[in-house]
Amino acid sequence: MDFKAHMKDAFLAAYPIMLGYVAIGIPCGILCDSIGLGALQVFILSALFYSGAGQFMIPNMQLAGSPLASIIASVSLVNTRQMLYSASLAPECAHAGKLVSFFFAATVTDESYGVSIAKFKEGGWSVDRALMVNLFSQTSWALSNVAGVFVGSLLDIPLPIASFAMTSIFICLLFTQRLTAPNVIAAVAAVIGVYICKALGASGAAIIVGALLGVACALVAMRIAKGRRA
Amino acid sequence: MSWEEFWIILATCGATMLICRVAPLFLLKGRDLPDGVIRALNLIPPAAFAALVANDILTPGMFSQGIWPAAAIICASLIVVVVAVKTKSLIWCAVSGVASYAVLLLI
Repeated sequence: MDFKAHMKDAFLAAYPIMLGYVAIGIPCGILCDSIGLGALQVFILSALFYSGAGQFMIPNMQLAGSPLASIIASVSLVNTRQMLYSASLAPECAHAGKLVSFFFAATVTDESYGVSIAKFKEGGWSVDRALMVNLFSQTSWALSNVAGVFVGSLLDIPLPIASFAMTSIFICLLFTQRLTAPNVIAAVAAVIGVYICKALGASGAAIIVGALLGVACALVAMRIAKGRRA
Repeated sequence: MSWEEFWIILATCGATMLICRVAPLFLLKGRDLPDGVIRALNLIPPAAFAALVANDILTPGMFSQGIWPAAAIICASLIVVVVAVKTKSLIWCAVSGVASYAVLLLI
């Protein structure tokens, strides 16, 4: 059985995410503790909801006095970007079983999507390894959050610097994409879309709107280029 | 936050999250997708990563209080771009990014 070998592959792919999740998971736990969430609640959230952005937004909005309905609406809106990852991973799961595909899909995050899609494009990757990447990452996230609840404010991690670890991972994933004209157009249009959304005060939808704008612009550009050649 | 509020948030946000994560994959999985859809799916990684980076480092009005320290995050990002192109390593990008951002903020 190559279970052990796959697990090793998955761990080697996942450990940068795991370390990043320690850096932001502890501050997230500290923040959750500050609104009176206990270790058990933080663990349940990490196990069943598992969203970095969401688990920061819930306590921040609660502290700002937002009503429950607006917390739910804002968090759900931010997480709609997961639909793009899910769609993009579908062809890779074409021959995988339903159960493994379900658990894989249900545990994808921004970071683990990036690592998995890069590995799938490289070749020699499989859904079971990708699921293990997700589970390694989630374990690190859940334990770091619980640790954050326990250490409380004893530890002072400057969040802007710690969260730049995640930004750096996204930069790496972006600049290891193939340098084709459609990819560049997609990326530039996505940046512009995000900026416009934020300038209009729609920051909750910025990532999904920006990404969709990027895909749409690149498709249009490809069609125009094809029309010229024909 | 009370346990009651906690369960409401977990159930609703957890449900919307699960649907967003699982539904598109199962709708498309195993189907013969037209070329146009495949092209669109292949464009998602560059578009999504660019959107995530832009969301983290760009804020309208970020330079209204002066260029520094607002530009520190842009400079740190450029350093990470160099590391990414040279090493293609996630961990080196994360380490060099955090270190250079911390140092730049001290200036």
